[in-house]
Amino acid sequence: MSVGQATTQTPRRYHLLWGQTPQSFRIGLVILLVHLIVAITGPFWAPYGFSQMGAGIPLSGMSWAHPFGIDQLGRDVFSRVVHGSHIVILLSLSGTAIGLLVGAVLGLLSGYLGGWFDNLLQRLLEALISIPFLVLALIAIASAGPELSGNPILVVLVVALVYAPRIARIARAAAMDIATRDYVTVARLRGESAWSVMRRELLPNATGVLLVEFALRAGYAPVLVGSLGFLGFGLRPPTPEWGLMISENRALIIITPITVLGPGLALASLVVGLNLFTEGLARILGRTVRLGTQ
Amino acid sequence: MPIVRLVADRILLSVLTLLIVSLIVFAMLEVLPGDVASRILGRDATPEALELLRAKLGLNEPAPLRYLHWLGGLLSGDFGQSLVSSRAVTEILAPRIYNTVLLSAYAFLLYLPLTILPALIQAIRRDRPVDHGLSIITLVLLSMPDFLLATILLFTFVVLVPILPAISLVDHSSSAVDYLRAMTLPALTLAIVMAVYAVRMLRDNLIEVLDSDYVRMAELKGLSARRVLLRHALPNALVPTLNVTALNLAYLVGGVVVVEKVFSYPGFGSLLVDSLQLRDLPVIETTVMIAALVYVGANLIADIAAVLLNPRLRAA
Amino acid sequence: MTGAAQLLEVQNLSVAYRQGSGWSRAVDDVSFSLRAGEVFGLVGESGCGKSTIALQLLGYRHLSMRVEHGDVLFKGQSLTSMSRGELDTLRGDRIAFVPQNPTTALNPGIRIGRQVAETMLAHGRIQSLESTAAISGILKLVRLPADPVFQRRYPHQLSGGQQQRVCIAMALACDPDLLVLDEPTTGLDVTTQEQIISLLSELRGRIGVAMLYVTHDLALLSQIADRIGVMYAGRMVEIAPTDEIFLRPRHPYTQGLIASIPVIGEPSASRSRPLRGLLRRRELPSGCPFAPRCDHALDRCATERQELQSIDDNRAVACWRWREIAPIAATPNSATMAGAIAHRASVLSVDHVSVVYGPRSRGFRAVSDVSFDIKEGEVFALVGESGSGKSTLARAISGLTAPSTGTVRLRGEELAGAVRDRSDQQRRLIQYIFQNPDASLNPRARIGEAIARPLVHFFKMDGAKARATVVGALDDVRLDGSYQERFPDQLSGGERQRVAIARALAAKPALLLCDEILSALDVSVQANILTLLQQLKSEHAIAMLFISHDLAVVRFLADHVCVLYGGEVMEIGPREQVFAPPFHPYTHSLLHAVPVPLQRPDRPSKASKAAEPKRSGAGCVYAGRCPWQIGSICETERPPWREGRGGLGLRCHLTLEQLNARADWPPPKQEGIAV
Repeated sequence: MSVGQATTQTPRRYHLLWGQTPQSFRIGLVILLVHLIVAITGPFWAPYGFSQMGAGIPLSGMSWAHPFGIDQLGRDVFSRVVHGSHIVILLSLSGTAIGLLVGAVLGLLSGYLGGWFDNLLQRLLEALISIPFLVLALIAIASAGPELSGNPILVVLVVALVYAPRIARIARAAAMDIATRDYVTVARLRGESAWSVMRRELLPNATGVLLVEFALRAGYAPVLVGSLGFLGFGLRPPTPEWGLMISENRALIIITPITVLGPGLALASLVVGLNLFTEGLARILGRTVRLGTQ
Repeated sequence: MPIVRLVADRILLSVLTLLIVSLIVFAMLEVLPGDVASRILGRDATPEALELLRAKLGLNEPAPLRYLHWLGGLLSGDFGQSLVSSRAVTEILAPRIYNTVLLSAYAFLLYLPLTILPALIQAIRRDRPVDHGLSIITLVLLSMPDFLLATILLFTFVVLVPILPAISLVDHSSSAVDYLRAMTLPALTLAIVMAVYAVRMLRDNLIEVLDSDYVRMAELKGLSARRVLLRHALPNALVPTLNVTALNLAYLVGGVVVVEKVFSYPGFGSLLVDSLQLRDLPVIETTVMIAALVYVGANLIADIAAVLLNPRLRAA
Repeated sequence: MTGAAQLLEVQNLSVAYRQGSGWSRAVDDVSFSLRAGEVFGLVGESGCGKSTIALQLLGYRHLSMRVEHGDVLFKGQSLTSMSRGELDTLRGDRIAFVPQNPTTALNPGIRIGRQVAETMLAHGRIQSLESTAAISGILKLVRLPADPVFQRRYPHQLSGGQQQRVCIAMALACDPDLLVLDEPTTGLDVTTQEQIISLLSELRGRIGVAMLYVTHDLALLSQIADRIGVMYAGRMVEIAPTDEIFLRPRHPYTQGLIASIPVIGEPSASRSRPLRGLLRRRELPSGCPFAPRCDHALDRCATERQELQSIDDNRAVACWRWREIAPIAATPNSATMAGAIAHRASVLSVDHVSVVYGPRSRGFRAVSDVSFDIKEGEVFALVGESGSGKSTLARAISGLTAPSTGTVRLRGEELAGAVRDRSDQQRRLIQYIFQNPDASLNPRARIGEAIARPLVHFFKMDGAKARATVVGALDDVRLDGSYQERFPDQLSGGERQRVAIARALAAKPALLLCDEILSALDVSVQANILTLLQQLKSEHAIAMLFISHDLAVVRFLADHVCVLYGGEVMEIGPREQVFAPPFHPYTHSLLHAVPVPLQRPDRPSKASKAAEPKRSGAGCVYAGRCPWQIGSICETERPPWREGRGGLGLRCHLTLEQLNARADWPPPKQEGIAV
């Protein structure tokens, strides 16, 4: 018995009392809820429209009426941030969700079945992962052509494309790990079909891993979307996408830094919330997680 | 000898992976988009101009043949000519790669102490305020997109405390000092982004090792805390971190794209972005392949290092 | 317990571990003491706190635990209040630790010679890490090769037994006053265990070091301990000299524990009733923790805290009823129907089966030419240590690994090598039960669902009928019907194993393949499951292929025994023939290695360098380790098969008469064990 060794048993039930959840989970959830509420209700109470000009003197700084200042086109940055909040969340979550779906199915199947299918998929995944995140996203956008540029669905699909191989790899590892457990052997000895084994033994025990993976990737997705926007490969102006806004207002940083820090704060706080949530979730599910870009 | 076999296997696999990458890249950039020529020239190009370009690029050949030509070119060092400037791609690439390598080396030097020191402090003072504080700082920095971090650093050291240049334009006529000043902010950005990720991992590894049986045994043998930490804990904790460091090096390849753009540093990453905007196919294809090559190479080195450092395999 | 300066005194020690946001007490007000040169055994089942106490004897501290009150005094000095520097001087030098798991306790990246030298250097016994001569001296002491080449090896290049010797060497390097051993032989083969115990006895005789020996194996302690302390749920319930513990145990828990030990010498003697129920940590009463399971408990026991009271010069018990308690006799188990078996039909027939990994001619021979026959309703035991091939054979029979040569027949029908090529009926008739109860149940499925799967799959039962059958299956393994709603992590190890058995039985098999199903359980739980298996055997007439390394258990349960070594059959026959002379040399050393309560090893361990069995196909696979080896003929020529009385068979160059003459097991009885 090694002192301090935690048991990482998959817990069978997920209903816990609120008071028992780790602090990181609670804080993360609160931050996310705030973002969600702003995203959903924002357009109704934001003081100005997202492309409304003449809200005030351009390039003026922070004030009570304009917490994030005014940009060079005379738009209220705070309102733009509020209007843009649902964009980031939608793009990130849907992209990650699609990536999860595709990746998990492929990965689980591949891990359990093995054989030539697994080998082939492994090579393909390896290759896709070898192209750095951003580079892959950029060439995917490039290959889609100029007619589709600025299309949000393109961004969603690109996010999914970048994530699916990485999630597939994790799902595959989980499937391979579970497949060696005795209770799976018991099912095989009974002559259960591969499909039945996957459904009953594999999937329920892999949900923990997959849930954490989803949260982890969803946490970085806003950064990816923001990076694309920042470089000009994401959505087109005047869409109030936060990355794009940071890029647009960058030149003004000497005069009104708040026009950059405002959307920056929004983006960073969203990611902080997602990361905390992921960490807390992982703790609840008895797993460890590596937050970050990889 | 089993080691030679293992290493050879890994190298072969890496080569295979790169081959598949080249297939994917080619497919995405030249096959999928359909008519490449009209992509490059735009919608209002004349049919004659389109035909000229097609002939020049060899687009009339069937796809597999084009791929093989291109692959052959890559392997023999002929990367073609830029569509924008008509210079040889190698000519454009070389100084950019040089700049990025310098930047990466600088970033790496900054990254090492930024990682090891906080992780050590956190592991030794586990669960105390210092540990919690550092965890919060790393979490916040981790959650910040690199372009945001870069922008904030730029603001701090160029506007607030003006000690560094805003734009990092350098060329072969710049002096060493100029280079250093130009590289500091981008290198710092990269170093911080890499470090916050590695610090968490090193901290966790250190704690895991500190809780392990053999470290406990070392303590129970009466060895001093210092000896236990430096001789038993740290070496074993560093090994998995080596893997992360290799991945970080690989991250650099993607990370430089954004960071170089922010600071206008004339490196490999900004070349990629520019050529994408200009649809300069040969340059794009070559840069992407090089990026993949670096990534695969870094992983390979990490794998081999892990094998070499594993006594089970070394002394088999 | 009183008298001249004690080497070690534990006074009212209470230690707690962090559990979630609170603290949970693992050791509760424990006191005992140790004299110089004495061996004190600390025994109890998992979770009783014995390992925690062992660590406190070295003053170990960790964030996740704290000493709530009490103290540990070594030569009068308090360990709990010493600084790290003071502890560093003491540890490794005056008090040394031998760990449970030598594989993880040795740093995998440092050569073993260095790891031993480190201790000596830290305490000033040598001046540099290169003092190979001094290190050789220590290694020789523990019967390891002393040459510099061996010192340069890494831990993973050593066997488990060798690794443990290195740990013992590290512990003895500075000639300590006290050795603290935390389950040092758990996880080692029984023959290796015997060697380590005899080494420790010899060392103790030679250098007079005192020892605190922590284990769950009471029989083992009787070989080496002077006094024994019995722990339950963090409390010390009885302390007495070794003989007294076995002959006249006073505390009900001690009595139950002793009754749970399968004694190899007496297969069907009537014994006292084994322990019932289980330790439920969350439901402990405020008084005596053992009260819920105690046959003699009265109302007062649940509320009144029992303290250790001296009842004699050397004895203490924590039970107010000690005078009145006499162990309750168990109902004698029904005599096995040995005679009737021989005439039954064969249910499983293994015919010259070999399993070779790699190329046929020079691959690794995990199983080599094994043949045997299991009759309907018979319990057939397959005995062997790690590496004997018993698990591989089980996998071959169940279809997880196809045999390289030979056939396996089920009721006359030849079975396909791979399980997916077999018919549903064939798959149903052989049911496999695994060693580790934690891994064999799907953590996300309820118990009822797990047991219902075979019913649905093989018998196409529908909902209501299946539920009713599940209740019946649970009943068969003496579990309440309400268990079907629970999840595996709400059950104890023993209960999970019962569920695994119930699931196997639900398919109505002809053969149960039990692969070391008791090894992962506490000894009292083992005893309960064994009783269950006995009952199942008489109620259901199912055949069992029972794989085990524990000869005492085998003697209790089996009808027929087969001994494997290095993938080959060494000896095979009806139980009583195998347990009586003539013995195959390997069977003989196995029997001698089994610790029997109160029987000290009467002769030094004969087994040699722990060599890997030779699987080259030439000569006897046991050559090189055999204590009765004749000479080179054993290395070059395959021994002939010899048949003895009553269906016994064995493979040896020695004749049956010679083997008979050399046999000296069972050793003459010393004293009777309390019943």
